[in-house]
Amino acid sequence: MIRLQNVEKVYRTSAIETLALNNINLNVKKGEFVSIMGPSGCGKSTLLNIMGLLDEPSRGHIEIDGSKVDKYHDKNLAQLRNKKLGFIFQSFHLINDLSVIDNVEIPLLYRSSSARQRRELAQEALEKVGLSNRMKHFPKQLSGGQKQRVAIARAIVGKPEIILADEPTGNLDSAMGNEILSILQKLNEDGATIVMVTHDDAMARRTHRLIRLFDGTQVL
Amino acid sequence: MLRHLFKLIWNKKGAHSLLIIEIWASFMVLFGVLSLIAFNLNNYLEPIGFEYKDVWVLDLSTNQDTVNLPEKSLRIMQRIRSYPEVISASRTSANTPFSANQMSNSSTYNKVSVSHDFYVTDEDFSKTLDLPLRKGRWYEESDISARFIPIVINKKMEDKLFANENPLGKLIKENDTLSYKIVGVVDKYKAKGEFMTDNPALFKMLKKEDWDRNVLIKVKPGTDANFEARLVKDIAAMTDQWGIEVSYLSESRKNRQNLTVIPVVIFLVICGFLLTNVALGLFGILNLNIAKRKNEIGLRRAMGATEGNVTTQFLGEIWVLATFSLIIGLIFAVQFPLMHVFDLNSEIYITAILASITVIYIIVTLCAWLPSRQASLIHPALALHED
Ligand SMILES: Nc1ncnc2c1ncn2[C@@H]1O[C@H](COP(=O)(O)OP(=O)(O)OP(=O)(O)O)[C@@H](O)[C@H]1O
Ligand SMILES: [Mg+2]
Repeated sequence: MIRLQNVEKVYRTSAIETLALNNINLNVKKGEFVSIMGPSGCGKSTLLNIMGLLDEPSRGHIEIDGSKVDKYHDKNLAQLRNKKLGFIFQSFHLINDLSVIDNVEIPLLYRSSSARQRRELAQEALEKVGLSNRMKHFPKQLSGGQKQRVAIARAIVGKPEIILADEPTGNLDSAMGNEILSILQKLNEDGATIVMVTHDDAMARRTHRLIRLFDGTQVL
Repeated sequence: MLRHLFKLIWNKKGAHSLLIIEIWASFMVLFGVLSLIAFNLNNYLEPIGFEYKDVWVLDLSTNQDTVNLPEKSLRIMQRIRSYPEVISASRTSANTPFSANQMSNSSTYNKVSVSHDFYVTDEDFSKTLDLPLRKGRWYEESDISARFIPIVINKKMEDKLFANENPLGKLIKENDTLSYKIVGVVDKYKAKGEFMTDNPALFKMLKKEDWDRNVLIKVKPGTDANFEARLVKDIAAMTDQWGIEVSYLSESRKNRQNLTVIPVVIFLVICGFLLTNVALGLFGILNLNIAKRKNEIGLRRAMGATEGNVTTQFLGEIWVLATFSLIIGLIFAVQFPLMHVFDLNSEIYITAILASITVIYIIVTLCAWLPSRQASLIHPALALHED
């Protein structure tokens, strides 16, 4: 589903050059639930961003669902992100000025859909994360766990095949974290391919496969 | 998408209220200034109706002399008309073209009353100013009768008093004892110049035996100050201690124009400063706004927004805001044409409203374009970077 070949990422600032990823070769199969671990600064987020087409590798190739994206331009990349990928972040990134349901609808704004379709799909997604009773709330009125569930609903509302989660439980206590992971497991059982960055061994153990990074190099 | 933008704006209307007020205030100021400009332009586009070139105004002040004025004036007129340089000369009341003097009154026909400017002139007036007649003719000495004074009116006055009737020969009343008989109709006479509104006007006969201090003199092209000096000297010799002043209509016209143009220019400059300020403020706010919403931009890009989507979103937001402000502004502005404030033509206000709306949209678009474009170029991974 996601294939990375000889991927390298170098960050150049005026003073220093950081090799954030060093010759990564990876193949995430359809339906897999993969976790990525490693110490802080080892390149986990960079790797996830490259998989999610939010960042370009300095070298190497990426294939998503069989299509090489090297030559893709802004429009095609945006379309691919919209149709195939769903993102979940550690700090949720909800828009505070929009209600829960309006937040969840955001990915659908970037494809052709009617207001009614959007509403129905968003309700459906919120039901899946158990938040259908909070649709009219604003993010400020929600707990951390609830916010992350909204973010998951937003990630899955467009029915993407791949979900990329960067420390989705990082800001939550363990009970909340477990709840989030159960939701992700359920989505995985329903067919989604998931790649998740985590610092928690227990979480990682509940996934199919573990990838370890150290200083930009894959060590496991 | 539009609904989405409305929600975004609506949900933070508190934060946006200052911006809305600012745009609203700009609209109102712009509406005021553009109404003024539209009003003046509208007037300017209508011809003044007469020829001011090579026409001089002679102002005679008799000072202490009160003896036999009509007879003296008759002699002076004969003298003026005798010069080969003079094409025509006409005695007239003090409200000569482009002067600051104004005379108005109201007259009645068939119970309809019209207020109008009025001018007292002799029979050579239309010839001296090349004031063409559309109906009838200019009055003459022979038109005078015991029962009424001959007059000429302008088209505006004709329209107000006589719907489909022929005005020639009709009597209109100034009061119960004084009647005027219409002998002719001129098209326009905008005595105050290009920027004057074409008001109803009435010319009434200045009889030979009546005295008035001003004489309009049409001279041959190329007549210069030498003749002016000779003229003044000759008239001075005929009178006792009279003050004699000559002015040129083409010069008083310029002074008169400046009286209108200069305030308009000042208003425009003030308005320009104001709008520049608003524009810079808007630009600053938008830049700040976008810096604060970096995460949101990254998120939208991650969810599938293209660069173009991001640009349109920010432009769209400012358009929605401007539209809010303009709707509030319109509620005020439409009162002017609806209630005929200042008795101006509705078209002037409507033109000003449309022009103001256009200018406001152009300004907000210019201000929002660069920040919006920059927002779209923010790299999504960078925008989402956790701090
Ligand atoms: N935009 C950037 N410019 C320069 N260097 C960067 C940039 N983004 C990341 N880096 C560097 O690349 C390396 C990898 O960063 P990355 O964010 O991928 O780490 P991480 O494994 O996700 O860390 P954490 O567990 O703390 O989230 C770090 O050394 C970081 O300083
Ligand atoms: Mg990270």
